[in-house]
Amino acid sequence: MHRVILAAVAAGALGTLAIADDKTPAVKTDLYTVVDGYKVDPNTLKGFRTWRSAACDRCHGANQEGLVGPSLVNSLKTLTKDEFKAIVTEGRLEKGMVSFKTSKAVMDNLDNLYAYLKGRADGAITRAKVEELKE
Amino acid sequence: MNRRLRQVMLPLALAASPLLAHANADVEKLTADPKNWAMQAGDMYNQRYSKLKQVNDANVNKLQVAWMFSTGVLRGHEGSPLVVGDMMYIHSPFPNKVFAMDLNTNKIVWKYEPKQDPAVIPQMCCDTVNRGVAYGEGKVILQQADSMLVALDAKTGKVVWSVKNGEPKLGAVNTNAPHIFKDKVITGISGGEWGVRGFIAAYNLKDGTPAWKGYSVGPDDEMLVDPNKTTTWIDGKVQPVGADSSLKTWKEDQWKIGGGTTWGWYSYDKALNLMYYGSGNPSTWNPAQRPGDNKWSMSIWARDVDTGKVKWVYQMTPYDEWDFDGINEMILADINVKGKPTKALVHFDRNGFGYTLDRTNGALLVAEKFDPTVNWATNVDMKSGRPQVVSKYSTAQNGPDVNTKGVCPAALGSKDQQPAAFSPDTKLFYVPTNHVCMDYEPFAVEYTAGQPYVGATLSMYPAPGSHGGMGNFIAWDAGTGKIVWSKAEKFSVWSGALATAGNLVFYGTLEGYLKAVRKSDGKELWKFKTPSGIIGNVFTYEHKGKQYVGVYSGIGGWAGIGMAAGLEKDTDGLGAVGGYRELNQYTDLGGSLTVFAIPAAN
Repeated sequence: MHRVILAAVAAGALGTLAIADDKTPAVKTDLYTVVDGYKVDPNTLKGFRTWRSAACDRCHGANQEGLVGPSLVNSLKTLTKDEFKAIVTEGRLEKGMVSFKTSKAVMDNLDNLYAYLKGRADGAITRAKVEELKE
Repeated sequence: MNRRLRQVMLPLALAASPLLAHANADVEKLTADPKNWAMQAGDMYNQRYSKLKQVNDANVNKLQVAWMFSTGVLRGHEGSPLVVGDMMYIHSPFPNKVFAMDLNTNKIVWKYEPKQDPAVIPQMCCDTVNRGVAYGEGKVILQQADSMLVALDAKTGKVVWSVKNGEPKLGAVNTNAPHIFKDKVITGISGGEWGVRGFIAAYNLKDGTPAWKGYSVGPDDEMLVDPNKTTTWIDGKVQPVGADSSLKTWKEDQWKIGGGTTWGWYSYDKALNLMYYGSGNPSTWNPAQRPGDNKWSMSIWARDVDTGKVKWVYQMTPYDEWDFDGINEMILADINVKGKPTKALVHFDRNGFGYTLDRTNGALLVAEKFDPTVNWATNVDMKSGRPQVVSKYSTAQNGPDVNTKGVCPAALGSKDQQPAAFSPDTKLFYVPTNHVCMDYEPFAVEYTAGQPYVGATLSMYPAPGSHGGMGNFIAWDAGTGKIVWSKAEKFSVWSGALATAGNLVFYGTLEGYLKAVRKSDGKELWKFKTPSGIIGNVFTYEHKGKQYVGVYSGIGGWAGIGMAAGLEKDTDGLGAVGGYRELNQYTDLGGSLTVFAIPAAN
């Protein structure tokens, strides 16, 4: 949690710098593109919408900080992409994790969901609610 | 008072119809004896009052632990055990164990542990609570999470009958306690966040065969509504609801996944032969997807116990925009309302209003805020019965993808399911409350069978500009709609209260304290720290001449989930103030029963 807040503060500082330099700081990886900590590429935005519509926040917290379910900001630091996809698809029923196999919206967006959550875990996406990056 | 009345009426009823209502006579006899705690609320009126007074305001400071028992389950423990004679029936959250304990030896006589598909666990997101068993005619009735309603032989724990009440694959699971009224077992359904269409169902206690089933929304015949005979509060009068009273308040077929679930506590008035309960929120939480009043979600219901037919219904929150789920208990009490002796029904709704109705016909008598911070409506218009919504806090008027901020109360309500108590001695209600506000952002969501169907993002925090805590324990005068006294609590009070003839009211706190306060002014006289946070209901009984007081401790439920609510609130910094976040400095998961008594003087 401290890490995320620090990241947010850092992003705020960068934002100020960016205006001064007339340049937008961006984080670009194979998975996602983020500007100002919350403006994201279309696929990552789809990942956020998937997160929201599947009501993941009811167990993992509005900011992925963890409630009944674990903190995804932490979990996605160690889970591989394949492990992540397997868990979302099959669930972990004994632990209370839903199987989303029958949800087309989730199954069609597994990569996007991973990109969004990985961006949160990496600290590149600094707040849960993201917006569309306008080119 | 009603107890005395029932004691007088019982022999008459038996003499008049010796072949009818045996089960009711059995439960009635058991609840009339204050040595038992034979129903979850102690009686059929949901009063949570005991005549026992060996423990009282003069000696409660001597109360000590008599014994403890672990259920072996570390999840939220709601409800309470039952005590019938020498036996105590103890239940647990999922996997829904039941223990029968002999109070003479503290030995477990039998234990029942059902095999349930673990797929039901995530469908109970976010906690696997169960609110307890019912007892009647030598049977212990368990409403399992997977919707199986099971009757166990109280002597052996063997299954006598079982019946499937819902479809867990579609999210129709159960958390409520079954209730035995007359010769019927009454149960409801959960799953308002999975698009489940709510209903209440009656099964015959004798063999588990279905007796009737009434839906909360949909066509008249499926709700057991008679358009000409079923009444509601219209234009300052009790009037027939008319044809298609539900259907015409929904857009197209949305009612089929329209919610109105029924997971609270039910009550019964034998003289009127009516049972009372509340229906929950409409689905989804995004109001833009369901224009209309969404009847009869968010309503108080009176049904005939024999037939299920609806005598009257009253909608508290038409067109819900905040998840003010209307399932909280209906407490029946004979009190003066605005100076007039009244057969009243009193209800503390999630929406923050305390309602008093005439339970014979559903006439609206009082509707006042029981937490002064409630801001989403200015008042309830007594003529139309409708809350007057404040535009600023209307998530429907602000629209999808707009974050409506500072709504009080939060979705978990000024009070959730944790039941209040009524004392016939003081004629006051003792109410465990939440003092929490929220930001609410609805968004469009598609329905997929068996998947979560929510459609709003929430963030919750302590009521701003108040005492900084997230709860109050209050005394309420339902005849005038006024708070008599209010005791601030650091966290939401999520435990069912108990009032006794010993001038005491008991309740538990999320930090894990069981507290005893004086009825007259709320002065705290005694407290004890149990192993985990308390979300269970306090109960009392007498065994071998000694009074005992008990409560489950084991944090969980929505309150426990709220432990971390507001952790990283990125909007206005309120999340850092007090809040559930601090709860983990006091408690962790648990699952035990603690029973107290005053030790014998040596």
